Amino acid sequence: MTNVKVNSVAKTYGTTPVLADITTEFADGSFTSLLGPSGSGKTTLLRIIAGFIKPDQGLVMIGNNDVTDVPVWGRNIGMMFQSYALFPHMTIAQNVAFGLERRGIRGAEARRQVDRALEMVRLPGFGDRTPKQLSGGQQQRVALARAIVIKPSVLLLDEPLSALDRRLRQEMQVELLRIQRESGLTTIFVTHDQEEALTLSDKVAILDKGRIVQIGEPETVYEKPLTRFSAEFLGDSNFLTGAVEDGAVRLADGSLIKSTSILPATGSTVTLAIRPEKMAIASGSTAENSIKARITTVIYAGPVLSYHLETADGLPLKLFAQNRDGTVLKEGDEISLTWSAQHTVAVAD
Amino acid sequence: MKSLGRFYLIATLVFLYTPILVMMAMGFNESQLYELPFTFSTRWYDALWNNKILLTAGMNSIIIALITSVVATALGTMASVALSRRTFRGKSLLQLMLLPPIAIPWLITGTAMLIFFYWSGIGRGMHALLIGHVALAIPYVVLVVGTGFRTIRADLEEAAMSLGSTPVHAFFSVTLPLLYPSILGAALFAFAVSLDQFVISYFLATPGYTTLPVQIYSSIRKGFTPEINAISTVLLLGSMTVILIFARFAKPGDTRDKR
Amino acid sequence: MRNDQLTLAPARGPSGPRNGRALPPWVSTTALLMPTYGWLTIAVFLPLLTMFAFSFLSATPMGKAPIVFTLKQYRAFFDQPYLVGIGITSLLIGFWTTLICAILGFLAAVALVRSTFGKTREMLLILILLPFWTNGLVRVFSWTMVLRENGFLDSLLHMVAPDAGSIGFLYTRYAIVVGLVHGYLPYMILTCYIALVTIDDAIIEAAASLGARWWTILFKILLPLAAPGLISGAVLTFVPVIGSFMEPRILGGRVGVTMGTVIEDQFTQAFNWPLGASLSFTLLAVVLAIFATFSGVLRRGTAA
Ligand SMILES: Nc1ncnc2c1ncn2[C@@H]1O[C@H](COP(=O)(O)OP(=O)(O)OP(=O)(O)O)[C@@H](O)[C@H]1O
Ligand SMILES: [Mg+2]
Repeated sequence: MTNVKVNSVAKTYGTTPVLADITTEFADGSFTSLLGPSGSGKTTLLRIIAGFIKPDQGLVMIGNNDVTDVPVWGRNIGMMFQSYALFPHMTIAQNVAFGLERRGIRGAEARRQVDRALEMVRLPGFGDRTPKQLSGGQQQRVALARAIVIKPSVLLLDEPLSALDRRLRQEMQVELLRIQRESGLTTIFVTHDQEEALTLSDKVAILDKGRIVQIGEPETVYEKPLTRFSAEFLGDSNFLTGAVEDGAVRLADGSLIKSTSILPATGSTVTLAIRPEKMAIASGSTAENSIKARITTVIYAGPVLSYHLETADGLPLKLFAQNRDGTVLKEGDEISLTWSAQHTVAVAD
Repeated sequence: MKSLGRFYLIATLVFLYTPILVMMAMGFNESQLYELPFTFSTRWYDALWNNKILLTAGMNSIIIALITSVVATALGTMASVALSRRTFRGKSLLQLMLLPPIAIPWLITGTAMLIFFYWSGIGRGMHALLIGHVALAIPYVVLVVGTGFRTIRADLEEAAMSLGSTPVHAFFSVTLPLLYPSILGAALFAFAVSLDQFVISYFLATPGYTTLPVQIYSSIRKGFTPEINAISTVLLLGSMTVILIFARFAKPGDTRDKR
Repeated sequence: MRNDQLTLAPARGPSGPRNGRALPPWVSTTALLMPTYGWLTIAVFLPLLTMFAFSFLSATPMGKAPIVFTLKQYRAFFDQPYLVGIGITSLLIGFWTTLICAILGFLAAVALVRSTFGKTREMLLILILLPFWTNGLVRVFSWTMVLRENGFLDSLLHMVAPDAGSIGFLYTRYAIVVGLVHGYLPYMILTCYIALVTIDDAIIEAAASLGARWWTILFKILLPLAAPGLISGAVLTFVPVIGSFMEPRILGGRVGVTMGTVIEDQFTQAFNWPLGASLSFTLLAVVLAIFATFSGVLRRGTAA
């Protein structure tokens, strides 16, 4: 297998910069999700790696080869599309064999590989059907078989599961992960779905306005967001802003918040991000940090209670609490929130 | 209200078809002067068989329509590929340029062709008719094939390319087979357009080389005979058949998913 | 042809840049477009330009007469006042044909949308459109069978009233209009139908539930909604009608003198091509003005 590198890749349509100087590496055999809001350039980046779009500048490397000037059909990629893109005038077997044929593999050998690929996606014996006779989920599995049967250097997927309903989608996530692990293909996966990104990926890359703002393992990106944007985009976050003082942060109301993050120089302003589930309602013993707030909204969701709160300064906060003993606080209740310095992350704006 | 609506539609159909049916019936009437009572006879069809001029004109019409159909379908399909699948500057101008052959009255186009072909030395006759007919048919081909393109997703070709197809191979192995019904429909349409074309042919035909509609027109102007009814019936049934086959192929309003 | 480089490519990993580099896209785009637009240039655009040039000549450049540049062909309307009358006749024929087509076509489209559905509707549509795509000349000729003295119409009359005279009106302007309406009605029905078919039944039911009577629904709801279809149908009827010449010739006989037949005469009888060209161009100017006026509606009307 092969790693994929993009080096200073940029793309501008007209005067709108869509990708701005992207440099990153997708390790051999890794599963990386590209996550970002609509229009952040995920599809553009994926299509540049695939070769459908020529970058204005920069290099794309697959393995040790500079493929920047190689057209799509010479790159040996496997691609899955949101719409499945199965050829409707061919049978399933012919669909899967299409790429093999382009590589000069025909006859019995092709049939053997097609059968194996269909088995891998758990559709053995479906070869003689046409795409129309298959359900959406089955079609998507055929698309996957077609993409992997050619043993591509890299597997590229642009929101391949978004057309499926929730249950099928979860099923396909499991399948996809299993097949990716079995085949060891370097995989780049574009998705809108945070949960999908977190559960499937070895690495998550967060894109914003044509830049990769953070790339790392899911835990790292979730627990230690680098910017306010990634903290907000992936999951929920509370933000507190204050001035650095004695290795802690002094808020406007005078309270001092501790953080294990590396803080900037004393006196400079800093934003702290705290995940709502990391906060707790203070009862006697408190952790390093605490703040007082009034409950404005209570959302009861069964196992989890989520509270919207407001500090005396009018700062909005969120709190996710496990529904352990069935006690639900009411709107207007004044409570004290507490959390540890370890979960207080300094983020760039 | 519903039955009134249906009655009105039937009245409309009566209006549309009565003259045609009367015309057809008169071709089977014995009388030279269309006199009634109706006496069935195939006399005029027999006469038709021996009318060299009409038969030659009919043959010319069919040959012209066939060549027009092939050439216009080939050229129009090529243009449609570019107009449907490529982005380039000036595209909307090119699309606008397809309208004059359809929208400008044929009288104007036809007389303009006459002047230009005379002035440039192209002259009149079969080749001139072909130049004119193909030009009239091309816009229809582009429209019909373009509609076909709209039902075929562009990502099919991309999928083929990702599997190792060059764009040319992707077009021939994926798009063309899916486009095939539309192209066939376009070819039928072009055939019908050429077969029924009268105005342009009228100005570009020579006394020695005419088409069936031109010949029918000059016969009508000389005076009506049931022979005209006979040949008109043949022509009408011919083009109706072509159009009905076209309707089956192109299925106007067909929304079947052709992903 | 197979890409041999690809065939040899190891199953794992790309083997570096291959020679299958794509041509710049504009090359193939141009190659695809050239034949069509080259053909249209020779067959349509150059002829129109040449005709424009011819319209400024003093005489057809065939004989020995000296040819000079002149505007006199465009003065024909003043020099030969009878042309004005013919122009008005053409416009009137166009107006009446379009108006009758619009009324009959709109009602037929309403009837199609409101009283039929499914397979029946599909069948009716095909039956209505079928004549439109058959030979216009033959259909005009058909009307002579109906309208002539002792024709079909008279036969019908004589079945009821054996002693009545003839009501056949072949060789009148009415005959021309009837023939033209017959020719363009299917198209008008189609454009109105396309505009009407998208209307949600709920709108009409809502109106009915508010107490609207059928004429209110017809004029206050269906008519405005069908307006784009009506307008594009009207334009696409009026334009070819004012350029028609075989319908007036066959159905109008001696009274069938229109712009179309006058232009035809310049090319086939009088051999005054420059006059024919200037008249054609005047007609083209009218046509283009109509298209320009309604271009917005037409684009929406034909996009459906
Ligand atoms: N061919 C094009 N011409 C002009 N602008 C384009 C083109 N393709 C994409 N863009 C613009 O580039 C930006 C990024 O598009 P891209 O499709 O990469 O976003 P995305 O992150 O995939 O979004 P989504 O989540 O909606 O799929 C968008 O603002 C889009 O409008
Ligand atoms: Mg996208």
